[in-house]
Amino acid sequence: MDFIYLLIQLVSAIIVAPLFDGISRKLRAKFQSRIGPSIFQTYYDIFKLLKRGRTKSSSTSYVYQIAPYLLFISAAAMFCTLPITYGANSSALAHFSDIFVLLYFGALFRFIFIVAGIDTANPYAGISASREGTIGFYTEEVAVICLIVVMMGTGSTGLPFISSLVQMGEYGYAIPSFAIASTAFLWVMYVETGRKPYDLAEAEQELQEGVLGEFCGKDFAIIDIAILLKQITVLGFFLVVFMPWAGLVDNPILSLVLFLVEVGFLYVMGVFIDNFGPRFTINKGMKRTMLFALAISCTSLVLYIMGI
Amino acid sequence: MQTIYTLFLLTSLVSLALYKKPLLAQKIGFGCASLISLYAAVFFFSNLDETMLWKLPGSFISLPLFKLDSLGMFFSFLVSFIAFAVSLFSFDYAKFYEKKANLAVFASLFNAFILSMLLVIASDNVFSFMLLWEVMTLLSALLILINDEEGAGKRVMIYLGIAQIGASCLMVALIIMASLAGTFEFSQFEHLDIGMGMSITLFSLLLLGLGSKAGMFPFHVWLPIAYCQCPSNASALMSGVMIKVALFAFIKFSLLLPQVVYFGYILLAIGALSCIFGIIYALISNDYKASIAYSSCENVGIIFLGLGGAFYGLGTDSPMIALMGFIAGFYHILNHAVFKSLLFMLSGNIFTETKTRDMDALGGLHKKMPITSVIFFVAALSICALPPLNGFASEWLIYKTSVIGGMAEGGSSRFFFSLAVIALSITGAMAIMAFSKVYGAIFLGVARDSKSIENAKEVSIARLAPLALLASLCVGFGLFMNDIVGMLTKIVLTIIPQTSAGVAGLISMPLIVAIMLLCSVLPFIFLYFLKANNKEVRVSDPWACGFLYNKNMQIGSNSFTGDVRKALSFLIKHEQEIKLDGYFSKAVYIKKTHDFFWEKLYKPVIELVMNIAEEIGIFQNGRTNLYAGYILIYLCLILIFGYYYL
Repeated sequence: MDFIYLLIQLVSAIIVAPLFDGISRKLRAKFQSRIGPSIFQTYYDIFKLLKRGRTKSSSTSYVYQIAPYLLFISAAAMFCTLPITYGANSSALAHFSDIFVLLYFGALFRFIFIVAGIDTANPYAGISASREGTIGFYTEEVAVICLIVVMMGTGSTGLPFISSLVQMGEYGYAIPSFAIASTAFLWVMYVETGRKPYDLAEAEQELQEGVLGEFCGKDFAIIDIAILLKQITVLGFFLVVFMPWAGLVDNPILSLVLFLVEVGFLYVMGVFIDNFGPRFTINKGMKRTMLFALAISCTSLVLYIMGI
Repeated sequence: MQTIYTLFLLTSLVSLALYKKPLLAQKIGFGCASLISLYAAVFFFSNLDETMLWKLPGSFISLPLFKLDSLGMFFSFLVSFIAFAVSLFSFDYAKFYEKKANLAVFASLFNAFILSMLLVIASDNVFSFMLLWEVMTLLSALLILINDEEGAGKRVMIYLGIAQIGASCLMVALIIMASLAGTFEFSQFEHLDIGMGMSITLFSLLLLGLGSKAGMFPFHVWLPIAYCQCPSNASALMSGVMIKVALFAFIKFSLLLPQVVYFGYILLAIGALSCIFGIIYALISNDYKASIAYSSCENVGIIFLGLGGAFYGLGTDSPMIALMGFIAGFYHILNHAVFKSLLFMLSGNIFTETKTRDMDALGGLHKKMPITSVIFFVAALSICALPPLNGFASEWLIYKTSVIGGMAEGGSSRFFFSLAVIALSITGAMAIMAFSKVYGAIFLGVARDSKSIENAKEVSIARLAPLALLASLCVGFGLFMNDIVGMLTKIVLTIIPQTSAGVAGLISMPLIVAIMLLCSVLPFIFLYFLKANNKEVRVSDPWACGFLYNKNMQIGSNSFTGDVRKALSFLIKHEQEIKLDGYFSKAVYIKKTHDFFWEKLYKPVIELVMNIAEEIGIFQNGRTNLYAGYILIYLCLILIFGYYYL
């Protein structure tokens, strides 16, 4: 039964994710005084891609061919670790839904992204692969420092267990270190969605798309879905650990709906940063902005170590 | 067990005796080595729960006693199993060194080296342990010299120098322990009655002595120097198992000391530093073998993080943490032995086919060596600790141990365990970058220097079979995590005070794989129902923004890490020199990356020693009568000393 709910959770996220993207595109257009595309535009894009033929660069090997599927698997498996339709009482999936499983599926996503980028032999894909790794180098420790506070505070790495503790109020915002960690964590998760100012384009459209520049047709459609799914997952990761209120509803389907609404809200709200944020160069931008996030997360860790 | 030792000794002697027929000796030497080590692996594995004793017959200064308990059996199994795969690989690989060295000597050294490692693990006596330890060091140094090229002598001296610093620390520690215990037998060392200060001093000496051999920070400088010089099968053995022998000795001796909580803290701090610095150097190096070598430092750091938790658990009397820490440490030792020896052997395959170690000259090798490439991919995923492979399983256990350890009240334990988790996560992020770069730069894209892969072709099946075996173990050790943890629990329960604690709440690897499979089906269903365009893929040049594509436009190994190097510029000195002769001539770029610790720590010491050696050179002037004078002065001094003090 748990598996069926898990499948429903995954499939519904895949179906809804393009809508969030469409809404945020529409909203961004409104800010820029344009009419903008329809909110279903991302669906149309994906359908269009499925009908198109494909090309590949002459240098590519098997990595390029399997990369879309591997990216999808890692993003989807990442999403499955979020305990939305199942809780701590689910005995089977509790052995799967773990913070480090989620983080390392994210790492797998990054690994495949980099390797596929190098495989195309495209100069822009190479640079964006390097940047993908560099972003990981900057964000990973901030995310983990925030999570240390939560994991050591609750004594578990299991997501369902942490969620249920926060839901029941046994552990939560009454503890300062947890509250401070939540801000830094949300920041890092926004960085992980790879939207402006953390898309690090530096005035080249090709860099922004990176490895995606070489993909086309159905491969690109799958990668597109995988990336949307990853963006939803990292925002959902924040929700599950720090604001797991959707899980308060007993009915799994209802809590899934609530969760999707919450994630959609966060995703669309991202436009406020995305649209008004400045563009940075990678060295200055990452270093300067991530230092703040690092400082916040370290503050929360110090508070935890002091026992507050 | 004595049969195994004797067989290795015999093989070594026989292959040395056949030095006039190197090809035959090589076949016999490596072939027998693989058979014996297979037998040994089965033997040690089936006797994991037993304790065995063996006395060397005959009379010596001390009576060398050899003893294997559960832990010793496990490490002996590890050595012999990896030796099996490596010797099978060497059977074909060693021919590459035909012109550089006598293959008979190579085979003989190889066997003797395996034997020395097994004996070090088994020896139960300070004297025999130190002797065999030095023999092991010397044999590995000779193996480095098999690949004789310019500068080899200097590199071996650096390796031996660091090994000697370590050995002297180890010797001091062991002699102090022996004098306190009043015996030279390790098995009677237990319950040393010493204070906390002494205990920590002895522990630090052991850590310096054995950690330097294991390649821990700041002794990591010898790793790339020695491993790059070595033939790849020897570096696979050295990195795969020799450093595990050092770790085994470290665990064995530290358990004999009275446990203090600071042991755990020291190990956690050293482990954190080791893994961060190890992976930084692995990331920025442009030589794939150096990259793999530096990552040994990283992995030893990770193992120390697990062991640190274990010693913390012993020091604070919390058996649960101790149990989990040891299991995590041993699990990572096992995994590291598998994937590191695999990576070194793969690097051997790459080197024999391309004759270069520079990643900026390679690329596109997948098309020439597809099987090597796929195995390398598995090994890279495994060393990056990506699910569902074995590296992930052991790192997850280390994370779990640290999280449980950090729950306790008290600032210091929380601080050190947080440090461990942070270090491990930074290492994880950088390992992804380092090994995706190594894999991508060697196998993917287009060759940056087309000459390098011109003559490359897939290596023989004899070389690929042992690699495929190890690669499948990378998957298997991940998938059967629960069984391995069960096996390790039994071993660990023999070395820590008896408890009923068990490991609970493990993640389920089969479930992870099942969910990944479930997810992998979805895109196909999705493509099928939406009637995707399945037309044949057109092939074109890579997109270069409308410019004519050139293979030099690809990202190189150096530029790939440019942003990280800039961010870490306070740690890494990086010099770039550009030589421009004229407007139309080609520019020459020279890039050098300096190891901060080599410059600040080792170079001054080496220079000092060289200067002192130069200064005392005036005593050695070749005049016989002066030498007789020295002897006279020495005798007088001894007489005076003896008169007053003896």
